Amino acid sequence: MTTATAPSHPLPHTTTPAGERYDGVIDLERVKAAHRPLYTARESFTADGNTAAALATLQMWRALIFAGFPITPSTKWIETVAAKVAAQGGHRRVKLLEAEHAVADYLVGAAAACRDLIFPTATSSVGLDHMTETTRSLGASGLGNVMIIDVYRATANFPLCIEGDPSDTLAHRDDGFIQICARGKQQIYDTVIQAPCLGMHPEILTPTMPGFYGIKDSHRSARLQVEPDAEIHAFQDGWIPPCTLPGLINGDTAMGNCVTSRHFQGFKLEQKRRMEQVFEWLPRIGDDFAQRFGRPGLAFYDEAGWPADGAVDIAVVSMGPDFGTFEALRQRYEATRRVRVAGIAMRLLTPFPREAVRRRLARARAVLVVNQAHHFGRGHLTLDVADALDALPGAPPLVPAFAGLGGADVSSATWEEMLDEARAVAAGVLPGAPRIYHEGAAL
Amino acid sequence: MSGPRDSVAEVKAAMGVPDRSARTLDDARPGTGLLDPQELLRDSVLEIRGDGKAGGGLVLAFQTLAALALRDPELHVQEWPFFSSARRGANIRSFLRMSRRPIEVACEVTRPAIALLMDESAGRSVDFAQGVPKGGTFVLNTRRGPEECARHYRLTGRVLTVPGDDIGTRHLKHAIGNVSAYVAMARAIGGFERGEMVESFLAMLAKRRIPPGLIEANRAALEASDAAIQSGTFHEAGPEDHAATPFAGYGQLPPGAQTALRLSRDNRTADYARSGFRLRFEDPATACTGCAHCVTNCPEGIIHFRPDAERGLLVTGVDVSSYCKLCGECIAVCPEHLFKEMPFQDVWEESEVTT
Repeated sequence: MTTATAPSHPLPHTTTPAGERYDGVIDLERVKAAHRPLYTARESFTADGNTAAALATLQMWRALIFAGFPITPSTKWIETVAAKVAAQGGHRRVKLLEAEHAVADYLVGAAAACRDLIFPTATSSVGLDHMTETTRSLGASGLGNVMIIDVYRATANFPLCIEGDPSDTLAHRDDGFIQICARGKQQIYDTVIQAPCLGMHPEILTPTMPGFYGIKDSHRSARLQVEPDAEIHAFQDGWIPPCTLPGLINGDTAMGNCVTSRHFQGFKLEQKRRMEQVFEWLPRIGDDFAQRFGRPGLAFYDEAGWPADGAVDIAVVSMGPDFGTFEALRQRYEATRRVRVAGIAMRLLTPFPREAVRRRLARARAVLVVNQAHHFGRGHLTLDVADALDALPGAPPLVPAFAGLGGADVSSATWEEMLDEARAVAAGVLPGAPRIYHEGAAL
Repeated sequence: MSGPRDSVAEVKAAMGVPDRSARTLDDARPGTGLLDPQELLRDSVLEIRGDGKAGGGLVLAFQTLAALALRDPELHVQEWPFFSSARRGANIRSFLRMSRRPIEVACEVTRPAIALLMDESAGRSVDFAQGVPKGGTFVLNTRRGPEECARHYRLTGRVLTVPGDDIGTRHLKHAIGNVSAYVAMARAIGGFERGEMVESFLAMLAKRRIPPGLIEANRAALEASDAAIQSGTFHEAGPEDHAATPFAGYGQLPPGAQTALRLSRDNRTADYARSGFRLRFEDPATACTGCAHCVTNCPEGIIHFRPDAERGLLVTGVDVSSYCKLCGECIAVCPEHLFKEMPFQDVWEESEVTT
């Protein structure tokens, strides 16, 4: 990973491509000066995932308006933001709108008008679905200053379930958002701080969707270390340059323009090019964060148990907090089964980091892919991993599995059952059809 | 899942934690046969589980325990609740892990060293002691004493009881036992000073902007709880008591039917119903139009009907004995207003079917 230093920018004086200035519209110096810090020193306390995400957004001086609509399990995000804004007073506003679609529309207008400010919200499941008409436009809009924090919940598919699996976020993979999965309170907090740096990067200009598992992380409390607001501002200001106005490509945006096929294709090519720039900049932002705050920053995935040469019998690909249970039993499994096991927990979901995943899995004898979202095929993650390994001669066989659907617990016994199947494949057994696992049983 | 023959090594293995001590259960506290929470916390992970009812303060009690633990900068904690899609009065669970090492494991706690029963009515639906190893600790919010509880619930290990609802009623004008449960749990874990235990709880209330007068009432409740805890060590569990029920799959799922998608038949959703009321179906004039809206909208599938030559089907009654949670769907959709929510004074009449 390359070592990065954030580029240095003066606070922006916004200028259009034609040279028009918008200095009088928003005085960013005054906005920044008006910020009332939540923390002036590093502090540590217990917090759940929603609180961690809320605190991170509140600490950004560029976040002035918090639009939202409550939905389980993300509700505490807007509750926490509203309580803190009310307690602090000052210039910030919370906009409780009538529905999620309205929230997304509000974000569009506000973010387009104030490209240098950050517009966060949080939602879940059908809330994200309600936003869909607008999120598809937002994804193409170039409004990298929009951040939808998705608190994963199972209900991209009925029946209704308030528990957390990533069915909702993975059903929205092609909306055009940069999707990053966080696990654990600290990673949630840190990810929300870094996400706008990525989305608002001039090479990327794409909205972000950091997310974390509902209930399993949104409602789980653990120690959280928060940074002083001033340090967060210094970090973000280093990465967020002045944004040109008003649009991306010859002044056009994705909002409302009805274009020819030729223009549409060109637009999509450009959108895809910007999205792929994430592979270049995400590690650099992550490195800079790590240097500044002393904790791991953004990465394509978390790793567990990889030997230096990368050669393992079983490689696990998963995401979310249940990967921790795998981490906890991995060494014991290796010792009792006499196999080498390592794993990655995906952080960057969209765009999927094909090259990095291919390199990491290249020397595995079998790859167990644990999907937690409903899918009628082999699973979203499985397809992405298959795509990543496609160009690899002698690619390891994939063992697709489903566990934790509907936020079900993924117990140690379930992990062992899945690993046993992968172990058989590593020993030469042909992989079977994808299975659903629960409580140590293959259903 | 093994029963009361578990050892400390097995408990740690189940948690995915290397057992460095490699001692058997009976060595855990020499001479006592008890699991030592402080030793688990130091050498591996101390796992705790609580059962209660939504709205009863179980989550607050666990959150406050987590905050209390984190006053020690070297401790790691993990605390979270499990809810179902149900309202006040439904069974809920809370989980807590504490360790001097970073906690990686994220699955639910199935082998708790300490188990709390916050509300005895919750114990009718679940075995709060399930999976607790021999020599574990059991904390109960109850008027009964430890010996009676140990006999009633067949417990082997340390039993702490506290009459939390009574203390809540006396000091907080509300039969809520979470203050007392918190104190008893902190005592069960050990290692906390009384003063910091009290101040941590009050700080949590202040953070929630509870009025100062109520905070002082809670202080009194905390003090009273500490004085009211009783404890003892008992050996009442049989070899198969509290063993986990093996997962038996989901059974046959009829397309579109929600009834079989309940967590289980054991989950008596009627327990979630608004207290003092029940559903009644009355159709003395056979006014049912056969529209079947009630049948298709009932999330529990408890409406009885029979084929009818003219109407298609005729609703004949509703089984309110076990699964009617008074959601009101049938009341809302019936065009003839044949369903009503009726007050009643007595307890549920088991297996009652009104026709």
